[in-house]
Amino acid sequence: MSFEPSPVAPDMVRKVAALARLRVPDADLPAWTDQLGRILSYVGQLERIPERPAAAEAPLPPTPVRRDVSRPGFGSEALAANCPSTIHRYGSVPRIVGSLTS
Amino acid sequence: MDRPAEAEPTGVLETAAAVAGGARSAVQVLTEALERVEAGDGRVRAFLEVTSALAFEEAKSVDARVAAGERLPLAGVPIAVKDNLWIEGRRATCASRILQGFRPSEDATAVARLRRAGAVFVGRTNMDEFAMGSSTENSSVQTTSNPWDLTRIPGGSSGGSAAAVSARFVPAAIGSDTGGSIRQPAACCGVVGFKPTYGRVSRFGLVAFASSLDQVGPLTRNVRDAARVYSVIAGEDPRDSTSSPEPVGDPEGASGRGFAGKTVGFLAEAEVEGLDPDVARNLGDLKKAFRAAGATVTTVSVPRATAAIAIYYVVASAEASSNLARFDGVRYGPRAEASDLLSLYVETRTSGFGAEVKRRILLGTFALSAGYHEAYYERAMSARQLLSEDFDRAFSRVDALVCPSIPTPAFRLGEKTEDPLSMYLSDVFTVPASLAGLPAITLPSGLSREGLPLGVQILAPRLAEEALFAAAGALEREIAFPQELPPGMA
Repeated sequence: MSFEPSPVAPDMVRKVAALARLRVPDADLPAWTDQLGRILSYVGQLERIPERPAAAEAPLPPTPVRRDVSRPGFGSEALAANCPSTIHRYGSVPRIVGSLTS
Repeated sequence: MDRPAEAEPTGVLETAAAVAGGARSAVQVLTEALERVEAGDGRVRAFLEVTSALAFEEAKSVDARVAAGERLPLAGVPIAVKDNLWIEGRRATCASRILQGFRPSEDATAVARLRRAGAVFVGRTNMDEFAMGSSTENSSVQTTSNPWDLTRIPGGSSGGSAAAVSARFVPAAIGSDTGGSIRQPAACCGVVGFKPTYGRVSRFGLVAFASSLDQVGPLTRNVRDAARVYSVIAGEDPRDSTSSPEPVGDPEGASGRGFAGKTVGFLAEAEVEGLDPDVARNLGDLKKAFRAAGATVTTVSVPRATAAIAIYYVVASAEASSNLARFDGVRYGPRAEASDLLSLYVETRTSGFGAEVKRRILLGTFALSAGYHEAYYERAMSARQLLSEDFDRAFSRVDALVCPSIPTPAFRLGEKTEDPLSMYLSDVFTVPASLAGLPAITLPSGLSREGLPLGVQILAPRLAEEALFAAAGALEREIAFPQELPPGMA
């Protein structure tokens, strides 16, 4: 097992956590930074594998698609049964307009 | 163990034959299985939930179908299901707080096919949260023990399924395998575990972890039982566009066919300095066993197999970060208190996911982020393709490839929880087949000096399940693996 220098700094972990809609408490930040750094250093061994020449790449198989045929859905009651909050028969969430900033 | 005398557990084929033939009823078989769970699961903690009432309804329905003359390949077979597969009316939580209380509205395709074949669902088994782990210690609910030694891990992530079969609670369980999550726990617990070719079994109703890798498969006590369960769940499904239309063939028949005249290649990259001495000794015994079965034994190299863990943790984490973006507290699961939508997402996810899931989401988000995408994700995908081509070259020389399933016997609970990278390396022998989409089976291959199970893994070319089961069946007949109850259950 070989390790390259860690590519991770605490600010990077904070930034990535924000992108992932997660919060890393300050007290946990050093441990998260260290663990991610160790994992990414290990992953750094991929640099030693020569990249596959683009010319040799086989064409991708076509993306399989489902037949465009309608089928019965779950029904609104089944969906609402799993919803954490409902008002009447509708799922409810906090207000959206003007609140989504990162 | 306080076990009723009439409750001697049997395998899948014997149970199905007895119920189909009228010698036993599905209700009787279920009653005995539930007694074994009641007597032993306090020690093992394989089950998150035992759904007795629903299971009795299913068993009665199977008895009625048998009486009406239906031919059911899994008549009355009690099956445990990993907590990431949908069973209508039961919860499916992925052993995660974020899916607490979630009840799917219908069966997963694999579950529906088992139901149609006469299986009875005993309950939901423990797992690493969202199938991320190699010891089942990442479950947010409970820790599961290995029936061979209750102080050790059962492997993971399908650790509850493996322990339930190993402890003889049920003759078969269903797991999912993304990087080894069926094979590694099966090997740790001394049972058979099979990951089909990518695309053989529909993932509809399997909670997605890494969609280019996930497969559903069986854990059983022997190879023929695995072939029977696999035959039932395999086949094309219009609800999973990656499912293969290729015919499934006759894997059960193939498992009795023998492997004489075929060539087996032992993976050169596995036989390296520093390999666990018990595992190394076992490999020597396995070469003799294959020769005794009439096969030619050689060594083949898959050079990029040594990079498989690095490739896997980039690719699987990247896919997980995308798949798990849907868990945000809006449509299902608990919702954190929040004053606005962004805080709702962040607080729900921060309190709902456990440490390992967060670690992989962060790793995957990093690998896909601007400035790092090429250096990590694209490079890993390129290496994955090269690894796949390495396997193609190897299979031009041999009919099946062999390597250990686990680098060491099951380690102690708590031994690796503080060192994620060390935990990841537990999957060093299972991840390569996942990345290449190959079918792979593990079967118990001997005991370590401490009396713990060792596992051997056999790999075959894509869609060559019949050859794989032929090799596994032949090897199983040469290995005299103990059939009595594991020591932790005695």
